[in-house]
Amino acid sequence: MSGSRLAVTWRMMALAFVLPLLLILAIEITLSSGIEGFDGDEAFTRFANATLTSYTLLSLLLLGNLFFYGESRNRPLAPLVGMFCASLLGVAATFFFINQGPMLLEDNGSAQAQAIYNIVHTLVSAGAVAFAVCVSLGSMFSAITSQKRRINFTFEEE
Amino acid sequence: MNIHTVRGIMDEMLQALLLFWLPVAVVPFGVWIFLSSSNDQRKTFGRFLAFVGIVMVCTSPWTVPSSPSTAAGHLLGAIIGPAVLILLGIYLISFSGHVPVGRLPRSDRKLGMFLSFVGFAWFAGMHWWILTPQIASGQVNDYWFVFWPTFLLLTSCLSSCAAIASLTIGDNRKTESNYMFMLSGLGFLMIFLGLNVDGPLITTDDFREHLWLSVADLAGIAVGGLLSVMVFALVIFVYEKTLPSPVTIEAPQTAELEQVANVIASHIGGGVE
Repeated sequence: MSGSRLAVTWRMMALAFVLPLLLILAIEITLSSGIEGFDGDEAFTRFANATLTSYTLLSLLLLGNLFFYGESRNRPLAPLVGMFCASLLGVAATFFFINQGPMLLEDNGSAQAQAIYNIVHTLVSAGAVAFAVCVSLGSMFSAITSQKRRINFTFEEE
Repeated sequence: MNIHTVRGIMDEMLQALLLFWLPVAVVPFGVWIFLSSSNDQRKTFGRFLAFVGIVMVCTSPWTVPSSPSTAAGHLLGAIIGPAVLILLGIYLISFSGHVPVGRLPRSDRKLGMFLSFVGFAWFAGMHWWILTPQIASGQVNDYWFVFWPTFLLLTSCLSSCAAIASLTIGDNRKTESNYMFMLSGLGFLMIFLGLNVDGPLITTDDFREHLWLSVADLAGIAVGGLLSVMVFALVIFVYEKTLPSPVTIEAPQTAELEQVANVIASHIGGGVE
């Protein structure tokens, strides 16, 4: 596949990914003359909390992954320390921004309660994401296997 | 275990730690042991740990009622049934088709489709019927509003993307692509119904509000995940760059090259069976 064709394919796939969301937005705007029920401040708070929490949780997961990466490298400390610092940065940034005031504080009374809520919320969202991925990929696989068997090679008579 | 006695002894935070957070951590730990062990005994132990963890998380709304986090355990208990039905159904449909290994009888295909249909109908019943996960009578579990729109939206988006991918990258995959468009359409239809048809406990306004929040959630998870992967790559890159370059060996001599050429020549060419 040539370079330009590949770029077009990726663009089409990206467009196909956002297409359902764009359609919903279009229908909402057409029927309600605006995005009803959308609160910019609340959405930003959710976005920021999700960003900080997913960064921190995934950093911790990757820190564990680095431990196994070190098995083939005589267990070097430098990357472990580096990733540990990156994870700590995520934790510190989360608490710093939550403590700034009501910007990232949702309906929770303290920074600690908000941080715990963020973790549970992200776990539930991640569960929904994982389930959606399983359903989509599984359906794709079942669609492929339910078709007639294909013969990929043709044998010529010698 | 007598929960009332335990409650009397432990304070609320310790209860939440032991009866909710520890089981939450035990689940991936058990899965990790199960996947990484070659020993059967260890595999069984990992499976047992994960199972006990899931059961304890699911029962946490009763064992730690004071912690709001346990609503997630309540949600897990509520959705585990339809989720397993759908995944089992997809598994049966997939492996009763043309697969080279582990092929199931053709009749399992119908059973798989039935299970998937029941799973989806169960989920739909959680929105538009009496099956909505409720923490107390008439009080919908808050995390259901997180899970349901996120799942519907992402399923629709991913299926649409998979449909286009099979059309553009795959070779003559129009039928498969149509199936994926149908799944994407089903997700889209459910979102559309959620935006326009009230359930007994979930109004269209509730669903609409949480749908936009789930978009923000998904965007945040994507950005945060991408950032952490970039930091991870940067840490590895910086470390690898500090390593001394490996010792280079001398180029092969003419005699060695000739020997290699002879060995290769004796193994290729064909002609003689």
